[in-house]
Amino acid sequence: MSIITEVIENTRAIIKGMMTTVSYIPREKWTVQYPDEPVTLQPRFRGQHLLHVDELGREKCVACYLCAAACPSDCIYIVAADDPRPAEERTGVDERYAKVYNIDYGRCIFCGFCVEACPKDAITHGYNFELSVYSRADLLKTKDDLLITKQKQSPNYRVAFSDEDVDSEYKEV
Amino acid sequence: MAELIKVIINGQDFQVEKGARLIDACRENGYSIASFCYYADLALQASCRMCLVRIEKMPKLQTSCTITCTDGMVVTTESEEIEKARRGMVEFLLANHPLDCPVCDRGGECELQEMVFDWGDLEERFTERKNYAPEKFLSPVVANDSQRCILCKRCTRVCDEWMGEDAIEAGGRGAHTVIGTYGGWLNCSQCGNCIEVCPTGTLLDATYRHQTRPWELSRTTSTCSFCSDGCQLSVGSRRGEVMRVVARDRYVNGHNGEFLCIKGRFAHPFVNHEERLRTPLVRYKKGGRLVPTTWEEAVRFAAQKLQEVKDAHGGSAIGVVGSPRLTNESNWALLRFARDVLGTDKYTASEAFSLAPFFENLSAPLATHKDIRHAKTIVLIGGEPEELQPLTGKQVRQAVRNGGAKLVIFNSVPIRLKEQAAQFVHIRPGSEDAVVLALASPGDAEVAASKLGVEADEIGKASQIISETAGDVVLMFGGELSAEAQSVVAQLPAAFGEKEGRRFLLHPLPLFNNSVGVHDLGLMNGALNPLEILDAAGSEVRALYVAGGFLPAHLEGREGALSRLDFLAVQELFLTETAEAADVIFPAASFAETDGTFTNSDGLVQRVRQSIPPVHQSKPDWAITSQLASALGTDLGFQMSSSNIFLDIAHGVPAYEGLRYPLLKDESKPVQVKHALAGRRDVTAQLAELRRALESLDENAEKITETPPVGHELFKLGVLTSKVPQFHLLAAGNPEPESVLVSPLYQITLDPGLRREAAAGD
Ligand code: SF4
Ligand code: SF4
Ligand code: SF4
Ligand code: FES
Repeated sequence: MSIITEVIENTRAIIKGMMTTVSYIPREKWTVQYPDEPVTLQPRFRGQHLLHVDELGREKCVACYLCAAACPSDCIYIVAADDPRPAEERTGVDERYAKVYNIDYGRCIFCGFCVEACPKDAITHGYNFELSVYSRADLLKTKDDLLITKQKQSPNYRVAFSDEDVDSEYKEV
Repeated sequence: MAELIKVIINGQDFQVEKGARLIDACRENGYSIASFCYYADLALQASCRMCLVRIEKMPKLQTSCTITCTDGMVVTTESEEIEKARRGMVEFLLANHPLDCPVCDRGGECELQEMVFDWGDLEERFTERKNYAPEKFLSPVVANDSQRCILCKRCTRVCDEWMGEDAIEAGGRGAHTVIGTYGGWLNCSQCGNCIEVCPTGTLLDATYRHQTRPWELSRTTSTCSFCSDGCQLSVGSRRGEVMRVVARDRYVNGHNGEFLCIKGRFAHPFVNHEERLRTPLVRYKKGGRLVPTTWEEAVRFAAQKLQEVKDAHGGSAIGVVGSPRLTNESNWALLRFARDVLGTDKYTASEAFSLAPFFENLSAPLATHKDIRHAKTIVLIGGEPEELQPLTGKQVRQAVRNGGAKLVIFNSVPIRLKEQAAQFVHIRPGSEDAVVLALASPGDAEVAASKLGVEADEIGKASQIISETAGDVVLMFGGELSAEAQSVVAQLPAAFGEKEGRRFLLHPLPLFNNSVGVHDLGLMNGALNPLEILDAAGSEVRALYVAGGFLPAHLEGREGALSRLDFLAVQELFLTETAEAADVIFPAASFAETDGTFTNSDGLVQRVRQSIPPVHQSKPDWAITSQLASALGTDLGFQMSSSNIFLDIAHGVPAYEGLRYPLLKDESKPVQVKHALAGRRDVTAQLAELRRALESLDENAEKITETPPVGHELFKLGVLTSKVPQFHLLAAGNPEPESVLVSPLYQITLDPGLRREAAAGD
């Protein structure tokens, strides 16, 4: 191929590309302006886990270890304990509760098996997805990070209504 | 070999032994039969109706657990009709069973869960309210959730047949039947066997309650480290912590079956106790403080001090004391250390009594626990197996109750086992030797009887039972016997002579897990016994190297002995009385942290396996010994592996010849060491000594008429058991708490001054 044909070919390619770019400029914008604007998440989005409490504020988890058993990446660590106090004063809904409940987000793959396994509806996926930290050790979240009463929710998201269509991928553009 | 008969199961012909139970016959031939209440070697119950089969010519379905095979029996184990019946039974079992598997400690290893998996339906048709009762405590170690019970009554049967306690029973009627105790609080030996055999989560280990779940545990088959019965058990550990000990047959199949006693089952928390020694400690100046230090420094200091004593007074001024608690490997390392490194003959083990005279004159094989169960006559001289060797106690009881054996007891105390005895000879305290004399030489029986305070013909009657036995005669004796009496007992089989169809077996009742082991290795054959070593402290013995501690009984009245030494090195788990006097303390690893072997009272060598890494900085005893040997310039050649030491034992001890770890792998086929049989020996000298002793017996001594309470030995607090809070409650008389809904540990504050010393120093 001579050098002249090469120059012509390349120039044509650049022009073609630029035409596409230019043609998009007047169209409607789809980019989410995160974090300046909150993202809209699907109702069934699987974010950071939440440990739930009952109406009296007692933890629902009974430390049955089923979530830990179901977890394919072995990232849940529980220490069960006995709570001999009367029912109203207990930490949990049952005499048996999780003294320690850790999830290692360095390993969690957000598969949702733990949620599926839980017989007490004590664990669900929340919507928090901002999990980046400066040190890997900080990826280990304890009960203080996971309990619904204690977990700090990020202001940077909103959850879509179930009938709301937010899925831009499948949108006719 | 028993006679064979033909049984047709599902259209196939099988040869089975005559008298075989149908359920066993089916299972052995590969047809699984569901069952709850059937439990081999317990009385039949037939309450669960899960084992139903169709037998030709019989009306309705039959429970295969109660049917004995007959010739030509035609059996169907699988059909639509049977499946329907089983599914119906499971539905009934679940009618009142709560759906609380997530909080139930049995969840994950529950037979009912498995059964429902196989035979249960997804839908429940019962819509009525279930019975409800809160979970409660029956004792400091047994928790109970009565609504989970399926009324198989395995628990009540083991309690009655194995333990002779009858402490737990079913009460109430119909759907309201529950398992309970008399008066709501268990005052039994707290063995926890009811927990073990319960197929559901009705009876629970209160020490492990709500701690973890079964699948989280790594299980290691090991040997109990308390009494000389050597029960096989499964240590469940999680992240370096021993969580529980069970003998459930899905995990371990030892000679004890699913039996364990309170110590084996509940006394494990000492392993991870916070008072365990953390680092080596050194006391640089006599009277100074113990300071934590590194292993290098502690070993260097100990080696230097031992070398100094050796240089100044010779190696024989150093004593080495092993322990019947430690593995054969650790004791062998000590023995080699004494002989090869120090060149001293002052070695011994801190044992309550020596079995040397017994083994020297042994004229019949040792009885295994299986032999005891099937013996025809059992003679017990002294001792109290239900408290000190509970498995032996259980085997004796079952031999009598389920096997029809005759039990003859000679004891100065009306022990509980006497309820089972065909003949109980109530002798005066301290006169056990005279019983031996009377049995061995009938000429002395009359004099002996008067000294023993029994009718003249009682001894003759006992002798007659022994001589008339067709089958096995097991002679057992406790620690009360003197050395001479031990020799004579060992020769009793020879004295009774040969008789067609009768076999004599001997069974000593030592106190510790490895009492027989320390004897076999020759550690008990040193120049001095533990008491003599303590007496010689400061004179003949200038330095001591002690693994484990002296027994409280040894130190009693000799409190100052240890401080008279120039140097004392101790390796221990805790800061015991012996360790407190030491100049160097090495933190040693417990049975859960080491590999090795124990030899039990049957002569069975059984493996101890490491379940968790050594806690803190502790090391196995043999490793410490070899490190110390290296520092003194001798390599014992163990290459830091316990199997090498065992190989060395196999080369050095004739009874262990040819044994290797791989041969000991299968706990269901334990290996008995080959103790040399002495044949007939002349024991006239010993008999003469016994006669002399007989003279000095007090004819007017008061007899002990009170049966000691359950647990008077079992619950005593020693170095290890005092680390378990539940034992403190039991030792304090097992007080009933105000509320049974909460563990008594939370309700009763204990007086710290209640520490009592156990006979075995556990
Ligand atoms: S499965 Fe649910 S109840 Fe069980 S331990 Fe996990 S969160 Fe707790
Ligand atoms: S408590 Fe357990 S062993 Fe006893 S009858 Fe009930 S289910 Fe059976
Ligand atoms: S009977 Fe002896 S060996 Fe068995 S569990 Fe009890 S103490 Fe351990
Ligand atoms: S096993 Fe036969 S009735 Fe229970």
